[in-house]
Amino acid sequence: MSRDGWRKKASSDDGWGGMGGYMAAKVCKLEEQFQLDAPREKQKEGGSSSIFSGVAIYVNGYTEPSADELRRLMMLHGGQFHVYYSHSKTTHIIATNLPNSKISQLRSQKVVRPEWITDSIKAGRQLSYLQYQLYAKQKGLSFPSVCLRKLDQQELAGASGHHHSSSSSVVCREGLPVKPSRGPPKPSHASPGAGPPLLQEPLAEQSQVSPRPVSSDAAHGHKELELRVNGSLQNPKGGGIRLNGLHGEDQWEEHSSTSGRAKESTLTNGHVHPFNGALKPTDMSLHPGGLTQEAQPEQRDSMSTVSPERSPYYGPRTPSPIPPQQPRVSPVTQHKHNSDSPNTQRQVPPPASPTNQNASTSSDLTPARPHPPDQGSRGVRLNGSHHSSGPSHNHTHQDLSDQSGKPATRGAEGGIISEFYSYSRLHHISTWRSEFAEYVNSLQCRRRATGGAVFSGKERLKKLRAQRSSGLSSMPAPQVRQSCILHVDMDCFFVSVGIRHRPDLKGKPVAVTSNRGPGRVAQRPGANPQLEFQYYQHKRNQHQQKDKMDGDLEMTPSPEDIDEHRHGNGMDQDQASLSMAEIASCSYEARQAGVKNGMFFGQAKKLCPELKAVPYDFQAYKEVALVMYETLASFTHHIEALSCDEALLDATALLAEVGVTPDELASAIRADVMEKTGCSASVGMGSNILLARMATRRAKPEGQYLLRSEDVDDFISDQAVTSLPGVGRSMGSKLASLGVTSCGDLQQVSMARLQREFGPRTGQTLFRFCRGLDDRPVRSEKERKSVSAEMNYNIRFTKVEDAESFLSNLSMEVQKRLQGAGLKGRRVTLKVMMRKPGAPVEPAKYGGHGICDNLARSVTLGKATDSGQLIAQEAIKLFHAMRLEVSDMRGVGLQVQLLDGGPQVQAPPQDSRCSIRDLLLARRPPHTNNTTITSTSSSTPAPSTARPDADAMPSGSSSGSSSNQDTRSSSMPPPTSFSDPIPSTSKGEPPPHTPNHARSRLNLSIEVPSPSQVDRSVLEALPPELRQQVERTWSRREENEEQPGASCSSPVRPPPRASACASPPPPEPPPPPGTLLLQIPNQTGSTGIILALPDFSQVDPEVFAALPKELQDELCSAYNRRESAQPQGTEVKQKNPLLQLKQPAAGRTKRRYKKRDASPAKKGPSPLKRLHPATSPAKSSPSKPTPPPFRLKDDPSGLKTENGPSSSSMKPDVPEVLSKFTPRPAPTLAGASELSDIRTLLREWVTTISEPMEEDILQVVKYCTELVEDKDLEKLDIIIKYMKRLMQQSVESVWSMAFDFIVDNVQVVVQQTYGSTLKIT
Amino acid sequence: MATLTRQDLNFGQVVADILCEFLEVAIHLILYVREVYPSGIFQKRKKYNVPVQMSCHPELNQYIQDTLHCVKPLIEKNEAEKVVVVIMDKEHHAVERFVFEISQPPLLSISSETLLSHVEQLLRAVILKISVCDAVLDNNPPGCTFTVLVHTREAATRNMEKIQVIKDFPWIVADEQEVHMQGSRLIPLKTMTSDIVKMQLYVEERAQKTS
Repeated sequence: MSRDGWRKKASSDDGWGGMGGYMAAKVCKLEEQFQLDAPREKQKEGGSSSIFSGVAIYVNGYTEPSADELRRLMMLHGGQFHVYYSHSKTTHIIATNLPNSKISQLRSQKVVRPEWITDSIKAGRQLSYLQYQLYAKQKGLSFPSVCLRKLDQQELAGASGHHHSSSSSVVCREGLPVKPSRGPPKPSHASPGAGPPLLQEPLAEQSQVSPRPVSSDAAHGHKELELRVNGSLQNPKGGGIRLNGLHGEDQWEEHSSTSGRAKESTLTNGHVHPFNGALKPTDMSLHPGGLTQEAQPEQRDSMSTVSPERSPYYGPRTPSPIPPQQPRVSPVTQHKHNSDSPNTQRQVPPPASPTNQNASTSSDLTPARPHPPDQGSRGVRLNGSHHSSGPSHNHTHQDLSDQSGKPATRGAEGGIISEFYSYSRLHHISTWRSEFAEYVNSLQCRRRATGGAVFSGKERLKKLRAQRSSGLSSMPAPQVRQSCILHVDMDCFFVSVGIRHRPDLKGKPVAVTSNRGPGRVAQRPGANPQLEFQYYQHKRNQHQQKDKMDGDLEMTPSPEDIDEHRHGNGMDQDQASLSMAEIASCSYEARQAGVKNGMFFGQAKKLCPELKAVPYDFQAYKEVALVMYETLASFTHHIEALSCDEALLDATALLAEVGVTPDELASAIRADVMEKTGCSASVGMGSNILLARMATRRAKPEGQYLLRSEDVDDFISDQAVTSLPGVGRSMGSKLASLGVTSCGDLQQVSMARLQREFGPRTGQTLFRFCRGLDDRPVRSEKERKSVSAEMNYNIRFTKVEDAESFLSNLSMEVQKRLQGAGLKGRRVTLKVMMRKPGAPVEPAKYGGHGICDNLARSVTLGKATDSGQLIAQEAIKLFHAMRLEVSDMRGVGLQVQLLDGGPQVQAPPQDSRCSIRDLLLARRPPHTNNTTITSTSSSTPAPSTARPDADAMPSGSSSGSSSNQDTRSSSMPPPTSFSDPIPSTSKGEPPPHTPNHARSRLNLSIEVPSPSQVDRSVLEALPPELRQQVERTWSRREENEEQPGASCSSPVRPPPRASACASPPPPEPPPPPGTLLLQIPNQTGSTGIILALPDFSQVDPEVFAALPKELQDELCSAYNRRESAQPQGTEVKQKNPLLQLKQPAAGRTKRRYKKRDASPAKKGPSPLKRLHPATSPAKSSPSKPTPPPFRLKDDPSGLKTENGPSSSSMKPDVPEVLSKFTPRPAPTLAGASELSDIRTLLREWVTTISEPMEEDILQVVKYCTELVEDKDLEKLDIIIKYMKRLMQQSVESVWSMAFDFIVDNVQVVVQQTYGSTLKIT
Repeated sequence: MATLTRQDLNFGQVVADILCEFLEVAIHLILYVREVYPSGIFQKRKKYNVPVQMSCHPELNQYIQDTLHCVKPLIEKNEAEKVVVVIMDKEHHAVERFVFEISQPPLLSISSETLLSHVEQLLRAVILKISVCDAVLDNNPPGCTFTVLVHTREAATRNMEKIQVIKDFPWIVADEQEVHMQGSRLIPLKTMTSDIVKMQLYVEERAQKTS
């Protein structure tokens, strides 16, 4: 925005030249004109008089009769009409409605209604103006302050668009019919040829409005202006943020141009604007700069006196002069403010004291809307309504009327998102999970920090045990150490918390829901619950029939519930009006009556009339949950937080140590929880997670159940298949069609069959689960895969701008969360729910989203970010690329994936390296105080307590984007640092990232191998300081090795995890699965979204379950596809490369190309992944902080888009042409494609490693092969020559062999392609 | 040039013009560098801002021109896969093959810069590479001749047979011995990638030239 130009323009050409010359002349001229016209008019009219002699009026704003008419009347009746307000000459101000700023400004004036004139004329004499005063109290007040402002102060963007429009309206008026002789209305000093585009719009409108304005429409117009201001404020993409920025400048601006300007914010009519900082008083006030030329002298005085005492910046400090009017804050105005500033709560509450003439205007602005059920939605709606009042005048009106007509719900903005999140129970619950995961993590940290925690619970257990054993001499010592998992689950958590202080409700059917009424609500217009119900019903039926649906996993926690719920909510005509507030939880008593969780309250009420509704009490939930976790933590720290009321405990070690039985432990835990929280918990115990969870079902309510291993078979064969995790509705029905309903039935089905039906992976899981086998470890520390914010309640946009600003705000929410978790992400996914064509416009659920299509788009950023602005920018681009009808949007979500910057997670267990790594990690010191020694980076010593993102900070802030990762990779200390305290989100678990992610991770892991693995000669060849560093690392490592228990307490690799690694899980190949592409069809007909799927085992079931159905299906089928494709890949990998490489080379590349064509941005499994870990051993030097290939990969010109549309949106000028032109990217080696980078990479490889690894060689071969296919023989030639030099120079003969091997393979390919072999000189 | 717009420009034609111009220069230079003709018939000229050698033998020049004139329509339609300058010994066995492998992007986008400066730079690089290629190639036996082959894509050959672009300048299917060499080695010279064309030049060289 060309603010500067604008300002210049405004200040220089504004025609105000020195405040007076021009205006004085102009006003004189106008007066003359008036005098000239008057006789003519009188003549024409006949009945003239002079009742108004000595009266000079100034019309402000809209009046009835119009300003024009008033002017005529004044002519007829001997008065004066001032087009410009003059403090000294104007005697009366005519207005019907004035904004408060005007009010305060015109306090000393006689502000009268136009009726005074008409009545006076009727009466034939000048009536007393007193009873026509606009404000009754006015006469009692006489404030000296009349202020004016210089116009050139307002040239600011955004908010000041308002100033401009208002002032321009003044100006236009001046040039209007008043003076036909004066030629075309002067386009006003304010008219900005060079004005910021943002301002153009309001101005343009204003000029449409203003032709009228000779008649006074000030007040009315003013209102419009205010609204418009909002619109224009919201326009800027930055939304709130931006706004603040502007304000900053604004203030500064005002500072700088203080000289002859007063800060008035005088109120003159009914509206008191409770400024809350977002809009400053000045923003709201009209600037009658134009009116004032005559009044200058004294005004200057008053200004100078007034301005100091009035802070220009803080409206609230303005002495509010007219107390009785103060309360007349219309909610609209208020919310206008809301929408502008996130802190909504600052205003004066809107009481109603409609005392004056404004009633008419304000009555439609203060809509008596039915109160929505909960507060949250209320805020939402109000804001929303504002939100929609865009820059256009028409819109405003429409919206306002809309609003008063019906409770239109509107998509929101500003504070609304945080508000939404402060009320959304789903949000709460979902954040809690991560919070508690964090909590568990922090426990671990603390323990590590203090070198062992006090387990009060454990101590008590020990005592108990001691007592017992004293009595009973020989308690059978814990036999074989069998693993024991406890699943602790609170019994109907929300209910029990809700009624823990209300004993009267105990034992009664109680439901927690947002609805507090009788369970009936009036049906809203536009809603069609029947239709929606039919839709769901239909969908469900479809599901049942659709048997061929390939093994979709419905990770719904309690599938039957949902099933039932669909049933249960099956409403017929008369039920349609029942409340659709869902029941979050209901007591066991209610459940007996048939009420289910998730049922709509209205329906439940029918089933169980005495059902009591209890409101949500999030604070209490949190407290109780925290207490529960604390209680659990007093026993052990091997806790996996499943949700706010559910956790898994790995009690194996604990039981062995304390020597109690699982049952005793469970009782102790339950008693503790009961005592501390007043709520009951159930505990299920089993030898693995699956069994523990299933046992909990048996244990409920208020019980505990130990599933002994000998009972497992009997127990599980009775269980319904649907009670297995991962078996949802659709899979259940599919199984049922196979004649399988219980796990026992399922045991009869062969693995082959299952795999055929459900895909290898799922089939195997089923096969194992139904036998009670489950090798998932209890993961006390988890990695976050994505950070997202989503809102699909109350989204109703009218304009694109609305959606944009919503996205901006949502991005800020995401930013908040990212920063909260200390993460940065590289992929931004925009998820949008669109009303399904044909679905009712108003969904059955109030503010709900109804039947929707889910669309998603994602873009990968060049670097990880947590900046809301950046995210917003991308999201908006994506949004535009999707070309959606904004009014049909029902839900918007933003997700940031490919997180890094969090606690560094080690590479996924891979191939052979896995074991070495494990070793290293296991030896890793448990304490953190020595990290600095190994931190190889000279610059950042990676403070051991650094938050996950902190290590990126020091450099990131200064050197900007691309260096972030670089420095991180360099500053990332060798394995030792893994142990750092921070585990905030995760660490020990197999990082479930996509290949991409893995790649980036691997960059960061530079390790020092154990001394035995390092070639001494290489070491000696290293520069001395490097060598020292390596040696120091070793020596320290040795020290650490002496510390007992280091490995076993290692949180990074908790024992169960390791065992999981070792035990052959599904024969599924551990190596990186390659990039699997997922095509999501979408309506806009573009290439769709291509996502790299992580390994299936790494899919979080919850996340999966939370996905929309369509997405789940997509994923499932994609996994199935991959699974069928995988076997070949593994075979290839498992064979000795020396034997098999020759032929497969070509074949493999072909495959890769196929993939690549689909997604230019993906390069398949990154060679780096392979190459890099191998490159590492001799500890790449600290002197070379950034191996170039990384840099290359990390800052690929900003952005990699993954789908057509978004790319076109990013580079609007170079649309498809480009993408078609480069259907596949240049071949890369470890992400490097530039010759120099590849050279560096190769050099590093050859010089730092004594013995090349097969995979690395294969990577190079593959790369060379690609070069051949890419017809880039020149490069190939150079590279081969380079390698030749490098490798043949190498002392190790292995390298020569490696080179020969590479060349042989390449020659084969060249021979095949060109019929001759390369000449290698 | 600057006023070219997408509408009034046949990109294929432009590309063909550029390439044929280049090929002409390249062929002359190859003939000079590989000493197929005595250096006396060559003159130093400036092309792409670098010195090149061009023959002043009118018949030779005519032959090259005619050849390229016929090649041009193929390039225009993106039907020429390779243009090969084959240097043959007395027995008409190929000893060296300079292969210009041409591939055009399926969709062209041209801005004036890419046309002018960038492509020129790339072509200059190729020319320079040709002028020094004798360093990596063995000497040719005396008495060599040359011929120009075109590898067409798909059915373009048939059209060429049907329609003679230039009267009395027919194309025939190349002899096996011109196309294939025994024990040939491949020496990549240069690869250029531009918006309008991707071309790589390599030399296939017979292992034993003097047999």
